Amino acid sequence: MTDDDTHDETATASVETDGGTVTDAAQQHRNTDYLQQEVNLLSPSTAFMRDHLRVVWTGFIAWALIVFGPVTLTAIAPETMTSITVPPGFPLHYFSVAFAGPTGALVLAFWYARKRDALDEKYGIDPSSVETSSQGGSGDTDAGDAAATDGGVEQ
Amino acid sequence: MMASFLVIGYVFKVADTEGMWVAGRGIGNIENGMAIGANWMSAASYLGLAGLVALSGFYGLAFIVGWTTGYFVLLIFLAAQMRRFGKYTAPDFVADRFNSPTARALAAFTTLLIAYVYSVGQARGMGLVGQYVFGLDIVPMIVVMMTITVGYLALSGMLGATKNMAVQYVILIVAFLAGVYVVGFTQGYSTILPQIEYGALIDELSRQFSAPFENSSYYVWIATAFSLIFGTCGLPHVLVRFYTVENERTARWSTVWGLFFIMLLYWGAPAMAAFGVDLFAAVNNISPEAVYTGEQAMSGAEGDVIVVLAAQFANLPRWFVGLVAAGGMAAAIATTAGLFITASSAVAHDIYSELINPDATQRQQVLIGRATIVVVGALVTVTAFNPPALIGELVAYAFSLAGTVLFPMFFLGLWWENTNRQGALAGMSVGLLLWIGSIFNSVLPSYVGFLADVAGGPSQAIIPIYAQFVPPIGAALVGTPLVFLVTIAVSMATPEPPLETKQMVRQCHSPEPMGQQQTAEDIVADDGGSGGTPADD
Repeated sequence: MTDDDTHDETATASVETDGGTVTDAAQQHRNTDYLQQEVNLLSPSTAFMRDHLRVVWTGFIAWALIVFGPVTLTAIAPETMTSITVPPGFPLHYFSVAFAGPTGALVLAFWYARKRDALDEKYGIDPSSVETSSQGGSGDTDAGDAAATDGGVEQ
Repeated sequence: MMASFLVIGYVFKVADTEGMWVAGRGIGNIENGMAIGANWMSAASYLGLAGLVALSGFYGLAFIVGWTTGYFVLLIFLAAQMRRFGKYTAPDFVADRFNSPTARALAAFTTLLIAYVYSVGQARGMGLVGQYVFGLDIVPMIVVMMTITVGYLALSGMLGATKNMAVQYVILIVAFLAGVYVVGFTQGYSTILPQIEYGALIDELSRQFSAPFENSSYYVWIATAFSLIFGTCGLPHVLVRFYTVENERTARWSTVWGLFFIMLLYWGAPAMAAFGVDLFAAVNNISPEAVYTGEQAMSGAEGDVIVVLAAQFANLPRWFVGLVAAGGMAAAIATTAGLFITASSAVAHDIYSELINPDATQRQQVLIGRATIVVVGALVTVTAFNPPALIGELVAYAFSLAGTVLFPMFFLGLWWENTNRQGALAGMSVGLLLWIGSIFNSVLPSYVGFLADVAGGPSQAIIPIYAQFVPPIGAALVGTPLVFLVTIAVSMATPEPPLETKQMVRQCHSPEPMGQQQTAEDIVADDGGSGGTPADD
């Protein structure tokens, strides 16, 4: 909940930061009313979104290379890609598409989730600060029997 | 095994809508990750994928890439924002984001189409397993399995389905990996890492198995992978998983876990395909090349159940083959369950109570939802008797539809606040027409007499050039950018959406934590000081 709305007159032109100290970023976050800031993928309007999008685009470009790179190389230079073998006997084109591509995406996903959590930290955000029925966070494996009422109306 | 599904479903029988559709929003990372995995791993992953890799060789890898790497795009662009938006279903999202009942109807219709096309592949998988493993005819097998699925669903709701899904995930991954490991070990292909060791086998197989672009052009390969990737991001029954978690951090991490759980199967699928192809040649005493051409070549049906056949060829005990087959069944049932839930909520919630009868009671909604499940189940069953393609390909049709119509709406809706009603309607209509046109063009001539006459043969396309660039399986490569362009152009040419709508989008990107039961709409309505009137539904 934004309970400390400081209505910045110049809300649209938010202050430029270069990722200062934690307190700076957190301070700035506190002074931003996110409901006043335009959302546009190509021109982020808040410091948080700028930081976030930097991570997003980095990941996206790496992902595109990992996913479409090997197959494109195979189309361009089939001889080279098929003649190189990777232990234990894969042709390189097969290995890079069947194994490296999907695995790369998994590693990237893990990297992104870590980065995004670090952003929360940088901006002094605590996801578990809102009342939820159970504490969020990794490793929460207990079956979520949240508000579902098992004894609903019998048909 | 079937009995255990029914029992769990009965225990979690729920009759209120909150429980029926989103399990009261409170399920943790790993469990939700497993549910994503189980929901995802349909017969197409369990059976169809190895079948495609076995039969189509390098082209089959487009399916492996497409059905895994899309999760990364989903994670960075949609998962957390969707969770913050906090709406039940894809049509709900589209309707509330674009303030339009018509958009809701279009999205609900798309959701229904997706569920239907997708389920046909599942039903075919069930039938084939029955045919090859239990020696039954394919038709009664499909009828029996679909009846069980529909009966189980009509009894319980999403909560039962979710509980079941973690269990089902475990059942099917154990069954699949046991198959890979045991076949690999007993036949001397592999020891501890069959996922890598099958590489040594590739040399001995026919060129067809690994040579690039033998069965398809580079364009079709890319189009297929592209459609599957962006279809993943537009699939309603995947997105609904984000509504069952407590906050967006859990939404993100459960996506990562989900991808890992999916990869456990996808690493093994090509290994199983390689073992299967090699065993097929050995058992039938044919050369590796003869697997693909000639009298004794592998048929589509055999390819589709190669996972089970490999276990059979390896002379493993009957109960073990049964276990592997049961995994395939579990996969098909779990996914069909998820799809039918989505379809039933599209009809009961989006079409019936939002458009036809606004005063519908919960009881009426649940009733309509159950009726939908039964009707869609019957339709799917009938279509599956004579399906037009391999399991994996059938499912891919649904993906190209999701990638073309729904993904641009989600993406633009969440990342560009000026996307408006007119843009969304124009975009969705264009996408639907493009996809339906592609199906009419390439698939229906096999079924409909006069279309075949027009096309000059049942397996011909009506307009060859359209079929070449917009194949049903890869329609999104052309469709998605086109829908993006149309949506953006129309949005720019028409007035901007109202402030409340924009604020909802802004709320989706605000890093402020939100409570578990809150939606972006609540926050915007509560935010008095911003000058906007509260959004009313």
